[in-house]
Amino acid sequence: MALLEARGLGRTFGGLKAVAGLDLAVEQGEILGLIGPNGAGKTTVFNLVTGFVRPTAGEILFEGRSVVGLRPHAVVARGITRTFQVVKPFPGLSVLENVTVAAFPRHPRRRDAEDRAREALGRMGLLGKERTLASQLTLIEQKRLEVARALATGPRLVLLDEPMGGLNASEVDVASGIVSSLRAAGITVILVEHVMKAIMRISDRVVVLHHGEKIAEGPPAKVVQDAGVIAAYFGTAGRQAS
Amino acid sequence: METAVQSLVSGVLTGALYAMIGVGLTVVFGVMRIINLAHGEMVMLGMFGAYFGLELLGLDPFVSVVVWAPVMFAAGALIHRLLLRRIIPGGELNTLLYTAGLSLLVANLALFVWTGDYRTINLPYAALPLRPFGIAVPIPLAIAFGIAVLVTGALWLFLGRTDLGRAVRATSQNAEAAVLMGIDVERVATFTFGLGTALAGVAGVLLAPSLYLYPTVGEILVVKCFVIVVLGGLGSVPGAIAGGILLGLVESFGAVYVSMAWKDGIGFLLFLLVLLYRPSGLFGVGKA
Amino acid sequence: MRRALPWLGLGAAAVAVPLVVRNPFFLHLCILVAMWTLLGAAWNVLGGFAGQVSFGHASLFGIGAYVTIMLYLKAGIAPWWGIPVSGAAAAVVSLPIGLLTFRLRGPYFSLSTLAVAELVRLVALNWESVTNGPVGFLITDLPPVRILGRAVNWEAKEPFYLTIAVLAVAGLASTAWLRRSRLGAYLAAIREDEDAAEAVGVDTVRAKVLTLALSAFLAGCGGGFYAFYFRYVDPDAVLAITLSMEMVFIAMVGGLGTVGGPLIGAVFLIAIGETVRARFEVGHLIFYGLFMMLVIRFMPEGIWGRARRLLQRRAAAGAAAPGGLDGAA
Repeated sequence: MALLEARGLGRTFGGLKAVAGLDLAVEQGEILGLIGPNGAGKTTVFNLVTGFVRPTAGEILFEGRSVVGLRPHAVVARGITRTFQVVKPFPGLSVLENVTVAAFPRHPRRRDAEDRAREALGRMGLLGKERTLASQLTLIEQKRLEVARALATGPRLVLLDEPMGGLNASEVDVASGIVSSLRAAGITVILVEHVMKAIMRISDRVVVLHHGEKIAEGPPAKVVQDAGVIAAYFGTAGRQAS
Repeated sequence: METAVQSLVSGVLTGALYAMIGVGLTVVFGVMRIINLAHGEMVMLGMFGAYFGLELLGLDPFVSVVVWAPVMFAAGALIHRLLLRRIIPGGELNTLLYTAGLSLLVANLALFVWTGDYRTINLPYAALPLRPFGIAVPIPLAIAFGIAVLVTGALWLFLGRTDLGRAVRATSQNAEAAVLMGIDVERVATFTFGLGTALAGVAGVLLAPSLYLYPTVGEILVVKCFVIVVLGGLGSVPGAIAGGILLGLVESFGAVYVSMAWKDGIGFLLFLLVLLYRPSGLFGVGKA
Repeated sequence: MRRALPWLGLGAAAVAVPLVVRNPFFLHLCILVAMWTLLGAAWNVLGGFAGQVSFGHASLFGIGAYVTIMLYLKAGIAPWWGIPVSGAAAAVVSLPIGLLTFRLRGPYFSLSTLAVAELVRLVALNWESVTNGPVGFLITDLPPVRILGRAVNWEAKEPFYLTIAVLAVAGLASTAWLRRSRLGAYLAAIREDEDAAEAVGVDTVRAKVLTLALSAFLAGCGGGFYAFYFRYVDPDAVLAITLSMEMVFIAMVGGLGTVGGPLIGAVFLIAIGETVRARFEVGHLIFYGLFMMLVIRFMPEGIWGRARRLLQRRAAAGAAAPGGLDGAA
């Protein structure tokens, strides 16, 4: 049984089909890359899985149980946590507080929650900045904070929405390492990313979306060669060039 | 049947004036993302302006619109430049509370200076209502409606056809992009606040001959105004117009078919019901 | 237990005030300060901690006032029992209000609270069979009570002061507890970014509704006390929008989101009110509005907020977190 399964998933906004007829299966322990040109529907898929938006069609099963109709916090309780494309820290709270909030639902006592938070911060290398205000962190630190917060919720599946946006080459390497380390910790990952280098290196499998539909699926090396995928990104002239 | 038509007519007439007040509030929100809680007081000042214009200068209220519109515009522009501009960067909450403080200040200053006595304007030519097709139409309300329609039409043309109007709409849709397009967003904001204030003031002048005037009338007006813009969608001018007329109709029918005392409450009840079943407002734009 | 000590100290100091302040008029002012501290704290829980600005809190206060006075006049239940019932009643009423209005965010929410408050006022004004409409209720005699063998003198201020002082200190203590609790952490997160809070597992609706209930309880108790002390309740006295604004004023001036802010804010409210009343007789609201504008412009974190920040800068060596939850009152 796949960890996460989407069957015939669809969402329309007015006249626009953001996602249509999507079948997706994510296996326990894999890193799945989700790519596609801008507007392909990737973030919408995240919003659908995590309950920020309701599907207009189809079903989403996590560990065999439907998660459709659950509010986002309930989805987190089931074991799926997401990060945001543009980081959303709690700016006026300290780094420790940011993560403690995420730990509280599973650890009602403050002491336990803070311990769990420190553990997550340690894994993200942010322990030294415990008392700094989140608004005073650098971008890459805020991204690490976002991941630490996600970790503190004790997820089995993490959805990362373009975590490498705005990072330079060496920062991308570090971030790739962090994503791989999540898998090592037993967490399954779906990674939306535009930085192809990262996707190629760390994904086990890649799914390509275009205009809300899946157009390719498979190991990264194969997908990148797919004519349809190239056409989607570059147009048909690109197809001729390849 | 005749009562129903009467209610309909009264509702539309009053509704048009509500609409004007609502448009003022919504235009300011669209451009600056602030809700001006002192908006009701601007209407109140317009009302008292009309009153004193008549009392002291013998100026017919409807004529005095020409005087009060620019005065209120200037007042609004000054309020923005001197006061609001420095508060807005502090955030939505601070700005909201600041306008709440301004509202308290203005309303109570007016109360102090003019006392809480109810005042009315009695126009000699308005003693008897018009009776087209047997429907009673109070003359001041009819004139007010006419002027309100003209003003709204002029506003529509302004927003759609002039450069400044387009700048206002652009800033309202995307302030960052507007800056990049070379629009002086700060000046647009000052202008818009002046415009919103002028619309409120003019609505007050037009309403003055038809309502009881008292300094704290702004309190209930701002709540009604809010109901209007939520129904119509914050930032949407057509929405505010539709919302205003809808509220006018609801109150008008409510006063006749439910009770006079509850007239004000019906609008709020409608608002809460809409919240219950359509949280994003009647026209789909309800969440901040 | 260590945390409770300063509160017991504050409680003792509060209770000792009548030993020092003998003048009935000044004791009356102390009563007002305590009552408004309680009300300011009630508002601050929702507005400061959770960032949900309500302009309709007078409705919760007013419901409390009506419940206590009606329980006494119609059912003979003494006001001191009525006060907690008032709190509970206000909390219960706040549940549907919250479920409805929390569908909106930010300024939309704030204005919806205005609409709700207006509706409550209209109900009180028009439902004459239950609320006596504009006439309201009047308590002419309070029940005779003996404490420690002596009859309580209802003409004196002391019994009333002691009641409200205990309520106010308990109210403030409860807000301090809230701030350090899990719910308090959720509220801070909601205030900073509601969507992000939801995304890390916080049930934001439940958190907001619970907070509103606590806020309503405190405001309702304040209303119950009002009925007990002032003995006259009508829609103008307890449901006016100015009361809501005064609660906002107190929290704002004192310090949004702080525990001690409401006390400072209440002191300012009463001080300004009395000064103006002495010189001008009317128009104290003018100064409330003016003061609010000045505070937001020059001291947005409030008087107590600014004081705390200065103290923290001196005390802490490293980078403290002024807006977070690891601070004290």
